[in-house]
Amino acid sequence: MSDPLYTEIIIDEAKYPQNKGTLEHPDISQHDANPMCGDSITLQMNIKDHTIDDIKWSGKGCTICTACTSVLTQLIKGKDIDDAKNMQKETILSELGLEHLIQQSPIRIKCALLSLKVLKLGLYSYLASKLENNNFDSLKEEAASLY
Amino acid sequence: MQTSISVEQIRKDFPILKRTVRDNKPLVYLDNASTTQKPNQVIDAINDYYRNHNANIHRAVYALAEEATEAYEATRDKVAKLLNIKSREEIIFVRGTTEAINLVAYSWGRANIKEGDIIVTTEYEHHSNIVPWQLLTQEKNAKLEYIGVNDDGELILDQLDKYLLTGKVKLVTFSLMSNVLGTITDVEKIVSKCRQASVPILIDGAQAVPHMKVDIQSLDCDFFAFSAHKMLGPTGVGVLWVRKSILETMVPFHGGGDMIREVHKYETTWNDLPYKFEAGTPNIADVVGFGAAIDYLEKIGMQTIREHEIELTKYALDKMSNVKGMTIYGTKDIAKRGGVISFNFHDVHPHDVAHIVDREGVAIRSGHHCAQVLMERLNVAATNRASFYIYNTKEDVDILVKSLDKVAELFKL
Repeated sequence: MSDPLYTEIIIDEAKYPQNKGTLEHPDISQHDANPMCGDSITLQMNIKDHTIDDIKWSGKGCTICTACTSVLTQLIKGKDIDDAKNMQKETILSELGLEHLIQQSPIRIKCALLSLKVLKLGLYSYLASKLENNNFDSLKEEAASLY
Repeated sequence: MQTSISVEQIRKDFPILKRTVRDNKPLVYLDNASTTQKPNQVIDAINDYYRNHNANIHRAVYALAEEATEAYEATRDKVAKLLNIKSREEIIFVRGTTEAINLVAYSWGRANIKEGDIIVTTEYEHHSNIVPWQLLTQEKNAKLEYIGVNDDGELILDQLDKYLLTGKVKLVTFSLMSNVLGTITDVEKIVSKCRQASVPILIDGAQAVPHMKVDIQSLDCDFFAFSAHKMLGPTGVGVLWVRKSILETMVPFHGGGDMIREVHKYETTWNDLPYKFEAGTPNIADVVGFGAAIDYLEKIGMQTIREHEIELTKYALDKMSNVKGMTIYGTKDIAKRGGVISFNFHDVHPHDVAHIVDREGVAIRSGHHCAQVLMERLNVAATNRASFYIYNTKEDVDILVKSLDKVAELFKL
């Protein structure tokens, strides 16, 4: 049976998710949950020379959430923080052929993008903690414009 | 009163059950613990109210105002009769169970809960019977304690003794039926323990009142809350019942019109009960619609409804437990549970299960069901939940079970 949402690639990705686990001394540890379904994701990252040196994730989520989190972590590992910070939702979705969710499923899109939200929350908090106070407002504005 | 339900006849009263969803699949609605569908009788009552009788209540002297007031107040009497309530002044219309419990927390709770006091709730409560008490106990520096749930999904009532022995418990609050497990609470045992310790009792009846005969006199509690929309009525209407001797001591929850006797620049005297607690123009049309829902249920008979659901639940439990990879939560003892079945299918996330069965026209709930404390206790992130009502059939159960095949197929189980 074929299904527009539960494709082979998604089911396989969720069955064997990459980068699952925790880091011992993470520079960034960020958690968030989807209040509707209880999906709950924690991302941990180590930062070296302004790049994401290592990333692990833990938590519980549905197939869509798990597959997207797995893909997200693979995409941003080794990336410059600024590139990771600017990661667009379309990039994640297209990796798994889920672009149709934007139009068709306002509920399941939240499953797909929870980890991206956690990533951005984590990176922005990290950057904010490294910044002079006077730059903080512009960063907050930039973060707000993303959602 | 009928002796058994003619589901076929009943289904004709519900226009929504005629529609199809997702590529012309007949709708199989199994999310009744969340909200029920509405029969023509309820829809027509609301329609008729707006077309023919609409006016504000309790004020003007003209004909429409009189009719509107009468229709609104008639529902109060229907509630009294349904639940065997002695005094109609004890019945307060609110927006729903959530508002009812918040009313108690703010009005009674703020005046009676002091630092160091204990409020006891249970692990299988809906968030609406947890969060208001968290807010109150945090504000008052009091403590919130939980009666645990055993592996059969029943409350471990011995734990209540331990709390009562401290002499600090000021309220025990619990639901009459769990919205996740369907467990029917052993009220008699809790109430007798609380009475011995002179501790007031609040019962959340949101899941019970729609599905079984409930008698306030024999429950012998002090506060009771439930919602219209889970029993064929409209959304935005609920009832709070409070024992008169307590209600008389309570300060208003909301200030405004209709709840006053006389207002002067710096002081106000209150209206009589129950109007003291119904500030502002209420949801008149939907209260009238709720009256029609009560009529509809009483015509069938609450005991008949319970029997129909027992039969359906038994059938569903039998059928579902034979499905490979099925985990069903809660007691297997049909006498101790209502028509609510929470389950997990293999290790497929409930969100995925619900999504796939929805393609087959089956509406079940997936998630934490506003009961995250219980999810933690069951050690699951979420469950699927099928819940029944008067219009559900064994065929609905069959379609649900069959739709799980699609899940198995997609996930190669």
